[in-house]
Amino acid sequence: MDALLSVRDLAVHYRTAAGPVRAVDGASFDVPARSIVGLVGESGCGKSTLGRALMGVMPRSASIAAGSAVFEGRDLVTLSAAERRKLLWRRMAFVPQTAMNALDPVQRLGAQMMEVLVERGGLSRPEAGTRAAELFALVGLDSGRLRDWPHQFSGGMRQRASIALALALNPALLIADEPVTALDVIVQRQILDVMRELQARLGLAMILVTHDVAVVAYACDRVVVMYAGRVVESGPVRAVLEAPLHPYTMGLMNAFPDLERAGGELVPIEGAPPSLLNPPSGCRFAARCPFAVARCAEDPALVEQAPDHHVACWRAAEAPALRPLASEAATWAS
Amino acid sequence: MGQLIAANDLVKAFPASRRMADVLRGHRPVLRAVNGVSLAVGAGQALGIVGESGCGKTTTARLLLRLEEPTSGSVVFEGQDVTALRGAALLPFRSRVQLVFQNPFDALNPRFTIRRSLTEPLRNFGLPAQERHARILEAMARVRLDPPEAYLDRHPHELSGGQLQRVVLARALVTHPRAIIADEPVSMLDVSVRAGVLNVLRRARDELQLAAIYISHDLALIRYVCEEVAVMYLGRIVESGPTAEVIASAAHPYTRALVAAVPVPRVDQDRGDLPIRGGLPDQLNQPSGCAFRDRCPLAFARCTEEAPPLRAIAPGRHAACHLA
Repeated sequence: MDALLSVRDLAVHYRTAAGPVRAVDGASFDVPARSIVGLVGESGCGKSTLGRALMGVMPRSASIAAGSAVFEGRDLVTLSAAERRKLLWRRMAFVPQTAMNALDPVQRLGAQMMEVLVERGGLSRPEAGTRAAELFALVGLDSGRLRDWPHQFSGGMRQRASIALALALNPALLIADEPVTALDVIVQRQILDVMRELQARLGLAMILVTHDVAVVAYACDRVVVMYAGRVVESGPVRAVLEAPLHPYTMGLMNAFPDLERAGGELVPIEGAPPSLLNPPSGCRFAARCPFAVARCAEDPALVEQAPDHHVACWRAAEAPALRPLASEAATWAS
Repeated sequence: MGQLIAANDLVKAFPASRRMADVLRGHRPVLRAVNGVSLAVGAGQALGIVGESGCGKTTTARLLLRLEEPTSGSVVFEGQDVTALRGAALLPFRSRVQLVFQNPFDALNPRFTIRRSLTEPLRNFGLPAQERHARILEAMARVRLDPPEAYLDRHPHELSGGQLQRVVLARALVTHPRAIIADEPVSMLDVSVRAGVLNVLRRARDELQLAAIYISHDLALIRYVCEEVAVMYLGRIVESGPTAEVIASAAHPYTRALVAAVPVPRVDQDRGDLPIRGGLPDQLNQPSGCAFRDRCPLAFARCTEEAPPLRAIAPGRHAACHLA
């Protein structure tokens, strides 16, 4: 596959007094050019750590312990800090969860855009002025508002501005960490529409880190499902969400409220994810999985179960029979 | 309907920050966070209040809980007007109408054991010491934390988010309330554990015949726990009725936009453009007439002149729109 980014067996550890926390423990997936990939999972699954590790924005206590992440032919893991800095903004850019973190509160938005365009992009000031107006128009903001301060913007407008800022130097890949989580539903939808439009118009690839399956369903082409530091399932959105192969993905879909699904109950997944300080051997979902068998004490590898559809589950072949069972609350209650 | 807790034409106005021009003109702008809200919930019923941030749903909850003084209007509990109650006279009301906090990670004192967190409200409301333990065990069973001994002597950091939110709910139930008000009760929790907490809330409501009010921005979630829903926009209820009907055939254009925007976890949802324009207006400079008109795709001349009142449009359904 023609991948823009190819992540293989990536491990990211946090040093703690009690020992290393294996936040990401062997993640593999591809981001094809011009596609939006949803990195989905619950708190502590490692999705944000993974997104940040790819961008090289990690806290001091975190380090990449193993694996590779080949972006446009170069392994991000082995790049020097200087080489990496050259890629930031120009080839890959980051949109953080709260736009306020991307924007400087004591600088007008226009000045922030100019700074990136002139100092990092090497544009002349007049060129940068034109480009800044273009970027604002691109995300649906009035260019007159470049003179405004961040606090004069609503949450949705700030998120648009931080996307415009990330796009300043025409990156090929945008990594967005929960870009709509803090926003109201109507604003969420508007921002997701902006992202989809940008992807189509500029041919961008994006990694959208989210806990929200509905965001993935609405905005993404592909999805990578993470659980307890591991990728448990990945593939095209339709295949993964409509016919999940991993019991965790099945459970996630049934636990998610759906405005249109007839009647029904929300089905919880009992229990909690394991500690990543001393993760259990074998499948990490086994303790909560209603379909666990003896073999789950061994680690299942991520394999291509169907064309382009990867899963790490010993019982993946039985998925069609397990799916109806997974939709019943009684299956999970024990 | 036996109304256990009701709001009658509640208004809450906050003084808004003043610009120099306001000061010079002697103008004192006020922000009507809640602007004439009436609602009623009976025993065993659940009402969802839905809206975006700034719509006044949380202020409405605080007014109902008597944590905030209304500018006008009244709160009625078990047939008694409790709006004028102050201080010690409020104590019985406080034990009977309980709040379920949004964030389980900071709702409990991290230094207290779970037992102490559950004992505190009982002590505050004067339950004799020898009766407290039985009450605590009852509340723990109600929220399905079983066996209780496995949790009572632990501290919050030793519990998962889902377990903590059950403790928070147990603390609300331990005083034997008649009504509970839950402000975004599961928004801080992971999807896989939300359903469990919501099921516990719903069972408690059924078994104890509680009146329940859920505040949420998430219409999809409200659908699973509330038979009735009220949609708020800029301090007013713009539509109310049975949740399933409101979702299936929304009468107010704002509700239609909200329904269209709610994300659903399915592919192939080509749901077209949202039937709404722009963003929330400045709350101090709301348009004349209908507050929604400048975002409404259907607005016409009358909407500029006349604010539509909330009126009955079908049995059990109300909407504030000239076209409803």
